[in-house]
Amino acid sequence: MTEIVLRILSAVLIFPGGVFAIALGLLLKGVERRLVARLQRRIGPPLLQPFYDLAKLMQKETFVPDLADAGLFLLTPMIGVASMSVAMALLPMAGVYTPSAALGDLIILFYLISLPALALMLSGSASGSPFGALGFSREMAMMLAYEGPILLVIVSVALYVGQATGGGVTFDLVTIVRYQINHGPLLLEWRLAPALLAYLAFIPANLGMPPFDIPEAETELAEGPLLEYSGSSLGLLKLGAAIKAVVVTALGITLFWPNGPAGVAGVLVFIAKHMLVVGGLALLKAGVGRMRIDQAVLFYLKWPMLLGGVALVAVRA
Amino acid sequence: MRFLAKAARKSPWIYRINAGSCNGCDVELATTACIPRYDIERLGCQYCGSPKHADIILITGPVTVGVKDKLLRVYAQVPEPKVTVAVGICPISGGVFRESYSIAGPLDQFVPVDVNVPGCPPRPQAIIEGLALAIEIWGERAEAAA
Repeated sequence: MTEIVLRILSAVLIFPGGVFAIALGLLLKGVERRLVARLQRRIGPPLLQPFYDLAKLMQKETFVPDLADAGLFLLTPMIGVASMSVAMALLPMAGVYTPSAALGDLIILFYLISLPALALMLSGSASGSPFGALGFSREMAMMLAYEGPILLVIVSVALYVGQATGGGVTFDLVTIVRYQINHGPLLLEWRLAPALLAYLAFIPANLGMPPFDIPEAETELAEGPLLEYSGSSLGLLKLGAAIKAVVVTALGITLFWPNGPAGVAGVLVFIAKHMLVVGGLALLKAGVGRMRIDQAVLFYLKWPMLLGGVALVAVRA
Repeated sequence: MRFLAKAARKSPWIYRINAGSCNGCDVELATTACIPRYDIERLGCQYCGSPKHADIILITGPVTVGVKDKLLRVYAQVPEPKVTVAVGICPISGGVFRESYSIAGPLDQFVPVDVNVPGCPPRPQAIIEGLALAIEIWGERAEAAA
């Protein structure tokens, strides 16, 4: 019993959650900023810039606005970091890390991934600022738009693997990864191609990246829910966002392309896959502007929803 | 905690306040000093949407009577430690608006100014030099606070 608890604790706090996820998330953020700068023909910040930013924020004064609900205002940034560390511990890394069955499956993971967005909404409304409230309503609209398609994607993959392994639907992440190691990645399965596209469309919206950075729109909402935060709680929010980027990409990797060698090489391959996604996100960030909230909501309810539905039907047929 | 202060030196986030400026200096700040050609992100700088995220405050304009209280309110919302830079001749002496009935400035009557960048408007190179000086001061303050 103690052994399992220790294993889970180390998975959540050190590898692959906690320390590892934080380091990887901040590093990827640095790579992304550097790539965007290069795409705009700038020199760009040092690769370790997000680490410096975080260290700086931890030393600054932290304000709580008069109108804010102080307890909730200071609590919500922690929820993001904590939920994402646990989510990271749920995701298997082929040949490197297998999560304990006691931790949970895809459904828990889906719940954990929606937590930071909920926490961000709460931060926005707890801050007592009109910009925070606007950010809150936009985040909620975005969430309603992208949660549907992502659920269809997850169910398609679960159904595909479940049918192939002789059962109904399997939400067990270890089974999904093992199936792909034995039968090749689902990336190459044509019936799941629409699901992959829908997942790729989900990534920027969930991470608040352009063209879907609408809830935090810097130029119109002055960073929305983040506006009233300062010092260490702002640092925690940035940290949560960095780990979330790792978790969302890692879920994509788990669902579609977990294959990799064992040991340290496996971790390197895992990081290389993350770099691919970061490259795509940087291209997007440097290449497009911001959508309006109604355009983004319509986009998600139209295309990724359609793709997810097509994938589900194709898998079932 | 020394390394934390060392890291802080590399992460000065900046915030602009227009205290009644004619927009000339703001244009220099926004489009010239920060366009790809003069990229200041390489110094770790980042423009913030909120004063509560900022470390270095760039103030332009002669501080008109109408904007003075608002300026002080925004200034108070920047968390300590912070560094103030006066950009353009207006916040330094009032410039062409000097001794006008609608001017409450110059700026250093109300807030402690650390770096002056004169010019009407200052050249981008001058703004970047001013920022480099401000970053030095910011680093010292961060170390003193740590």
